[in-house]
Amino acid sequence: MSSQYTVTATPQAEESGAVGLAVASLPESFGPASEATPTLIPQISAIDGAPGWTTEAIKAIDGGALGVVVVNPVPENTAALRDAAETAGVAVVLDQRWASNPGLAGAEDAVRSVAGRAAMLDTVATATAGTDPERLLTEHLAAVVRVTGQLDALRVLRRGTHGYTVSGRLPNGAPVSLQGVLSNSRPAGVDLRLYTDDGGVSIAVPEPLAAWPAEVRATGPQGEILLPTLYESAHRTTWRRLKEDLDAGTFPSDLAGFARLTESIAHLS
Amino acid sequence: MSSHSQAAPLGSLRPLGVGILGAGPVTQAIHLPSLARLRNILQVRHIMDVDATVAESVAARVGANHSTSMDALLGDPEVDIVAICSPHQFHADQVIAACRAGKKAVLCEKPFAMSGEEAARISAVSEETGVPIIVGAMHTFDPGWLAAEANWGDLPETAHTIRSSIVLPPNARFEDFATEIITRPAGGAPDYSDVETIKTALRGGIMGLAIHDLPLVRRFTPDFEDLEILQARHVRPFGYVISLRAGKQGAGERIIELRAAMNKTWKPEWVFEAISDDAALRVDFTPSYVQAGSAVTTITRGSTSTTYGPFEHNGYEGEWRELAKLALGTKQPPSAESLINDLTFAIAIADATVDLAAAEHANSHAGAHS
Repeated sequence: MSSQYTVTATPQAEESGAVGLAVASLPESFGPASEATPTLIPQISAIDGAPGWTTEAIKAIDGGALGVVVVNPVPENTAALRDAAETAGVAVVLDQRWASNPGLAGAEDAVRSVAGRAAMLDTVATATAGTDPERLLTEHLAAVVRVTGQLDALRVLRRGTHGYTVSGRLPNGAPVSLQGVLSNSRPAGVDLRLYTDDGGVSIAVPEPLAAWPAEVRATGPQGEILLPTLYESAHRTTWRRLKEDLDAGTFPSDLAGFARLTESIAHLS
Repeated sequence: MSSHSQAAPLGSLRPLGVGILGAGPVTQAIHLPSLARLRNILQVRHIMDVDATVAESVAARVGANHSTSMDALLGDPEVDIVAICSPHQFHADQVIAACRAGKKAVLCEKPFAMSGEEAARISAVSEETGVPIIVGAMHTFDPGWLAAEANWGDLPETAHTIRSSIVLPPNARFEDFATEIITRPAGGAPDYSDVETIKTALRGGIMGLAIHDLPLVRRFTPDFEDLEILQARHVRPFGYVISLRAGKQGAGERIIELRAAMNKTWKPEWVFEAISDDAALRVDFTPSYVQAGSAVTTITRGSTSTTYGPFEHNGYEGEWRELAKLALGTKQPPSAESLINDLTFAIAIADATVDLAAAEHANSHAGAHS
């Protein structure tokens, strides 16, 4: 039988990461600190990924946390946090809006198995009007590189109040286009289409507000396969992943991956 | 392009006679099957092709006369409506000749000219002769699109983002579902390291594929003459990634994203979208060639979506119905200005695309993709 970890969350993390719901859906693994063990230091800290989140995460580690969950982190230098986490043996996981969706694990396999034959990658992220396009681009790119790996020659072609267009290249040279669209009349989410010489892969990633599954379809000469749908939100997946790392004593690679994303964003011309 | 004096109810007279210049796959797989559904109002009476065997064989399918010269077709008194389905470079002269021959209406496959000057010449002749002309931009006649037009409200004024995404198998896949083709153009093995190959492919992509939806894009682009091209990239073996900005920053600015990939897939996707802060239009078109009914339109305002279609016929049949009405004088033709603007919009995008692709190719040392 595995142990239950106590959890505390900042109000911002609770709002952006639906921490209470995620924790309640894993009752054997986690429990709210205030109710379970009011006199003890919470073992897991959930913080929002607003600017300064790496400093807040280090504070949580210094305060004795065994694990840290960061909800929707903005690009930030993670080197000091990585050092602190490794030194203290703390697991830091990132709960990313779309990149943490559990369906992307299967999508990654589907994309990478045909990437060498890719002819074009076209992806559109949609968010409500008024969303910060810079933040949207970070969340969008995080989801894309989760399944494609690093992209080459990323370049911002335009950005403004209605969204952005970014160009890039896949490793085989095929063109990549990332578009951000801000509208209240399209479901928020990421749509990704990789076209090959005889089919491709399409991925629709929903918001983590509910346990809507990502839809991943692999199309080839024999037809189209819908990968198994996983009715688990990105939030719950993140917490479940954290528990696995804590129980196994392993360190998640989230921060290393996020460092690469931050570097890509910083180099966008 | 101009009004017509005759007026008679559709379907009340002997079917109008149709003559077709060019009997290639489009005529065989698109127009003849469409016309077969409209026998009560239109009858194919003359097929012309430079290949006598093709002309005779295709004409025999519909019991029509056949010839190898345009003059023979235009001189055939049985022909009321002329459809021009020849290679692009012949379109302008053939449209003008059909107007001067005193026909009742002319359908010209897109593009109806390859330059603004040619378009102006056509317009002048149409005005002078009174012969109405329509361009075979079939999606503009699709009942799904017409339903969108009737219900989109102020979206053309408020949309900030327009997307056209076209993914198609090789034409042969759908041609073979539509008919038994007797001729096909020979394919080649393009040299992608040659910038001229890329330029030709991109221009062909705009004037042969994107042009299907550019009249739709223009409906949402008030400042369509103020274009800035952001990217133009070739997709192998045939396709493009093109991003444009039209109009000045502010309410008139439009972001236009054009995507196309033609490959060996079996799965077609042909989607047009126009998006504003508070409304979104999505039109899913059926593939060309097959008689697969109309597009399906979805208009969303906030979180409420309304769907229109599918309707029974597609845009090709829609354009033939329109031609019959024009020939009978029961409907006014589209304005010459609108057709010319559609063409100049397409040519401007093609020119800018080719120029940018050439410049980027020159800067690229990889040569894998432009």
